[in-house]
Amino acid sequence: MASPCTVLIDTDDRDAAAALVEIAAREALRIERKFSRYRTDNLIHEINHAAGRPIAVDEETAQLINYAATCWEMSGGLFDVTSGVLRRVWTFDGGRRVPERTAIEQCLESVGWQRVTWRDRTLSMPSGMEIDLGGIGKEYAVDRVAGLLAARTTESFLANFGGDVYAGGPRRGNRTWGVGIDDPSRTGKAALYRLDVARAGLATSGDARRYVRWKGKRLGHLLNPKTGWPVADAPRSVTVVARTCLEAGTLSTLAYLQGPGARAFLEEQKVQFWIL
Amino acid sequence: MQLEPTEQTEPRESAEPASSSSALRERLSAAALALLLAPAAAMADSAATTQIDYTTLFYGEQGRTQVFEPIVRATRLFGDGQSISAQLGIDVITGSSPSGALPSGSVQTVTSPSGRDITVPAGQIPLTKFEDHRFGLDGEWQKPWGSFFTSTVGAHVSREKDYQSLGLNAKVSADLMQRMVTVTVGGGYNDDSVFPVGGTPIGLSDGSEVSKGANSKRVKSVLFGVSRVLTRRWILSVDGTRTFERGYLTEPYKVISLVSPFNGLPVGQLTDNRPSSRTRSSALLSSVYHLRNDIIYTSYRYYWDTWSVRSNTIDLKYRHDLREGWYFEPHVRYYRQGAASFYTIGLSTQLAPPEYATADYRLGRLTTLTIGADFGFRVGDNPSQWTLRAEYIRQKGDGLDPNADGVQSSFDPSPAINTVTAVIGYSFNF
Amino acid sequence: MKSSAKWLRLMIVFALPVLAGGCATVRPWDRDLLAEKRMRFIPNPMLHGIDEHIYFSKEASMGGQDVSGGGCGCN
Repeated sequence: MASPCTVLIDTDDRDAAAALVEIAAREALRIERKFSRYRTDNLIHEINHAAGRPIAVDEETAQLINYAATCWEMSGGLFDVTSGVLRRVWTFDGGRRVPERTAIEQCLESVGWQRVTWRDRTLSMPSGMEIDLGGIGKEYAVDRVAGLLAARTTESFLANFGGDVYAGGPRRGNRTWGVGIDDPSRTGKAALYRLDVARAGLATSGDARRYVRWKGKRLGHLLNPKTGWPVADAPRSVTVVARTCLEAGTLSTLAYLQGPGARAFLEEQKVQFWIL
Repeated sequence: MQLEPTEQTEPRESAEPASSSSALRERLSAAALALLLAPAAAMADSAATTQIDYTTLFYGEQGRTQVFEPIVRATRLFGDGQSISAQLGIDVITGSSPSGALPSGSVQTVTSPSGRDITVPAGQIPLTKFEDHRFGLDGEWQKPWGSFFTSTVGAHVSREKDYQSLGLNAKVSADLMQRMVTVTVGGGYNDDSVFPVGGTPIGLSDGSEVSKGANSKRVKSVLFGVSRVLTRRWILSVDGTRTFERGYLTEPYKVISLVSPFNGLPVGQLTDNRPSSRTRSSALLSSVYHLRNDIIYTSYRYYWDTWSVRSNTIDLKYRHDLREGWYFEPHVRYYRQGAASFYTIGLSTQLAPPEYATADYRLGRLTTLTIGADFGFRVGDNPSQWTLRAEYIRQKGDGLDPNADGVQSSFDPSPAINTVTAVIGYSFNF
Repeated sequence: MKSSAKWLRLMIVFALPVLAGGCATVRPWDRDLLAEKRMRFIPNPMLHGIDEHIYFSKEASMGGQDVSGGGCGCN
């Protein structure tokens, strides 16, 4: 998952906790192997190297693609799983280099869910295009793991995969789980807020270390698939609390993609959120 | 709202934004629930796939050995990262190879270890004809353990008319330091037997006396490797191997000419005899570099062993991809080795024979140059991958020895061997 | 013994540039190029096996990145 993943279980039974963590780790690894675009032995690799050929996918992949398609539609095309191709030209290392306009235009020819044919669980897209389910995969993994744990224990637990969190019920003595929200400029060092949650999903979108500076502006790593440019004047970090981690993650990403309109967007959704 | 460069083109066509935000959230929730409440049975590992690779090698040395080798390999990839593969190869070898005897100024007759007399024209190096089939079966099982370890276990069986090899090998790789470094440790063991046609001749004899039965050869090897990601485009690896060979390491069909010290003419021959132990070591430095579209592979290997052979190998490949599945990859390799301490082109009748001696050109000083190219392509919409390879290999021994006795100084004991190889490969998944 | 010491020394000389720091960590999201199949040291194991077999039968050396593969009466 390319980030630290932890599962906490509120129990005195060490063996039971170890067994549950083992189940969680196996599920997380399974999802990572299946959907990572950094592997060459999975369906995502096959789809991305199909060179125009239609690829039939399994039920789970189909469900995730359906979800991604719904997000694309509802965001007016801002949330697009084909936009990863743009990362070939953008390097978000905190520097000041932005790509040539022609390079971006060339990339944009391979971006756009509207160019993908997705029906009957079969996906085909023009050669050169790629899909990346990483934007929802981590949140999906958190919720899947939470589902597995909830089916096997009545104890309270917390799954945290690199900031994508699900809290599974109130802790003993009716206490809540405390989740810290990082100061975006000092990731992992200083928590600015502490949220208390009992049963909820929580996710953050932000540009802690992945940005470029351009004309005095700080451009975060989320790219607008229509312009090929990063979202300008976006908040440093958007944290959303929702029923599931997937919902929280999608809402925070959609809000972030609104740039300065993030706050207004989330207020309309009537969710709990924090913008830094 | 979004930063756009001033002369930005019109936004592309896209779906209409949802009209109401509460509708948005409702649809999102519904979609998330549909995904998360899907039955667990549907959430299986990614489906297992099977890959079949088929290749055929055509190998032709000018005037010498010809090899035709079809190989088929089946690999089953499981969704959890495990894979199992099995490979079957058959070599059909025909032709002739140098016996080790020297050329003569007149027609000479040499006796092969199997007792056949061969007539060799004047000035040409004596060759022994042979014909063999080799069957090889290999199996391999790879398994990831957690997210940082991978183990590989393999087994090998091969059989020829006069040779059998049974082997086991294993290695473990660990990803360290946020997957910037991979460390690999491995080992292998081979239990081989050599049972020459017509019996095993006694070393440094006239070859008339032979012992029956198989000769054993045991090979142990160890491997240690470290590979490291240097940048987004560059990986470097260092690998060391050490191989311990014990047992019958002699070439039963090779001979050494006995040379008259007066005119340098071969007057007889003795059989090959090599030490019964050999420790080989290699250190390999390899790099893979991703240019904007192309890839450069480079490697350098230094090799040394307890028979005093030293060698340097440089290998360069450049891969240019035309489009998905289509590529062109030219290739150059340069190899140079020094002679084994007991290598000789011939033995003098005047002197007592040494303990060990060989005239096998492959243990003498030699240079190999390889030039070739791979071409990958697909046919129509079919995703199956085709590969073609053509190579030219030129191998040249030490050449003329101006200090050799008499007429030997005017013969080249190891003339250049020109070889052409062609490989056709075909891979598909189902 | 002498040979062992030499092997070790050579490995150290080789290993230094590989192990030495000074290289920034390549973040997981920047590993798209490294993840390509053709970025492997041995992208096509079958062709590699054929090469090893040919050179083993024509030259006195062996060794590289592998300990697999069986013996052969060809050398």
